[in-house]
Amino acid sequence: MSENINIKVKHITRVEGHGNIVVNIKDGSVEKCQWQVPEAPRFFEAMVRGRDYDDIQTIVSRICGICSISHSLVAIKAVEDALSIKISQQTDDLRLLMHFSEQLQSHVLHVGYLVAPDLFSAPSVVPLVAAAPDAVKTIIKAHRVANQWSEVVAGRITHPITIVPGGFSQIPTETQLRNLQNELKALVAPLVTIAEVVLSVAGNLPAFERETEYVSLANDNEYTFYHGNIKSSDGKTMPVSDWEKVANEYVVAQSTAKWAKWNRDSYAAGALARFNNNAEYISPLGKKVADMFGLKKGCCSPFMNNIAQIAECAHVTEKAIELIDKILTRGLKTEEVKINPRPGRGHAAVEAPRGILFHSYEFDKNLKCTWGNMCIPTNQNHANMQLDFEKMVPEFMHLGEDGLRQTMEMLIRSYDPCISCSTHYLNVDFVR
Amino acid sequence: MKKETIVLGLGNPLMADEGIGLKIVHLLMSACGENARADFVDAGTGGMSVLHYIANRKKAVIVDCALMNTEPGTIKRFTPDQVKTVKELAHLSLHETDILKVIELSKQLGECPGQVIFFGIEPQTVEQRIGLSDLLTKKLDDYVATISKELVA
Repeated sequence: MSENINIKVKHITRVEGHGNIVVNIKDGSVEKCQWQVPEAPRFFEAMVRGRDYDDIQTIVSRICGICSISHSLVAIKAVEDALSIKISQQTDDLRLLMHFSEQLQSHVLHVGYLVAPDLFSAPSVVPLVAAAPDAVKTIIKAHRVANQWSEVVAGRITHPITIVPGGFSQIPTETQLRNLQNELKALVAPLVTIAEVVLSVAGNLPAFERETEYVSLANDNEYTFYHGNIKSSDGKTMPVSDWEKVANEYVVAQSTAKWAKWNRDSYAAGALARFNNNAEYISPLGKKVADMFGLKKGCCSPFMNNIAQIAECAHVTEKAIELIDKILTRGLKTEEVKINPRPGRGHAAVEAPRGILFHSYEFDKNLKCTWGNMCIPTNQNHANMQLDFEKMVPEFMHLGEDGLRQTMEMLIRSYDPCISCSTHYLNVDFVR
Repeated sequence: MKKETIVLGLGNPLMADEGIGLKIVHLLMSACGENARADFVDAGTGGMSVLHYIANRKKAVIVDCALMNTEPGTIKRFTPDQVKTVKELAHLSLHETDILKVIELSKQLGECPGQVIFFGIEPQTVEQRIGLSDLLTKKLDDYVATISKELVA
């Protein structure tokens, strides 16, 4: 086929931050095909230097307005690892409960507000209210419950204020947890409805696969978001303390963001990576949702990341209902935080909604931070997006410029990327 | 129990004057105390959470850093229909969430407060650092006084 295609998407919409897509095809042959990130680096690692150990999680929670709980939790785990601080089972359970809430918040936001418009051929969720009012209202209800859930455990919807090194400054009451549990039980049916709505338009997901290495946390007999070691779908595992040997961050000319690779030229992190490494441990409702879409372990279609996110919404809701029972059966206790921090270096990983997230810190004898290193999931996905593009463009160029551009935009969105999340100021013109 | 009025501070304290909305809301919170007629929330950059915070209230006051083509330090009161967004990123990207689109969504859902008031503050500096510029710091009392008047109105 002899065809010329020139695509330059500056700042793809409905993703977080700025990313560009550039494709040049001349006489049917691909001359250029790039995923570019032009964002300025943020230097958060420099910002934490000189700070007290108990300020770190508060500062880094502001890295992101969507994954603020994940950043807070991974920071506090790394701080506790560095300073040899032990925590109680109750603290661990309540933090896990908090972490689940963010998965639901973020996944519903991504699938409901950002991906659904693609599937319904709408420019955004706003016009969808008129076209599919019941579906949008169900999505917003689920998002609202998830927000309230975060507020109960984290003290507010974003940027948690209840966690401190060694424990909690404030824990929810038994009544709050029981009310939350009732809300979650009532959310099961709406979540299935959301899955059914997405299933009704899932045929609009492009048919694209590429053999990929998937990297996530893995733990014994658990679909984990919070505990365990690093696992590759290629078979290797690595302790969290060696995360730098997994990410192997490097720079490329086309991007201001770092790229990552482990056993191959790239790897993918995110819900599909978690599913591919842990599917046998997903909850019954999570499995039911995955089955509705035919999602099976070993899936290599990046678009199915959205479906894995829906299955995880069901999973975290079901698991949280059980976890609240476990916490309350043991009996909620107000625990005084008693710690004896010792200087050192520590590392941690959690699964942010969009993939595995690493933080490391070092503290001196005054417990001031002397060094920090963080690696976010989107940076771990950039190289994989580029390689997906390189396979996708020849396969989908027959769609022509508009069709190819839209498919490539959908691919990027399917990764739920979080390119830049630290600034949002209003930019307005006054109506004259 | 949720109050009829909510005052939301938006912004990021790691980006210099981008954190002005949060600073003002914390000052208002301390000045007005628990028994105030309004709920005060540091909503950070939690974009879509604004939809839930304002739902079914009578009044929402949103305080944010805003590029308005005015002198740095200027505070301006405006309503959503007095401005159009010039954000390049329309259609709800998350962290770049267009707050005016969130208000539009809230209206479509029939849960938007009857009164939505913005206070925009023109920044002097937006860069990666903790703390406001001296210019905005000196004007904090004025900002708090201006917004407090809105709350007794």
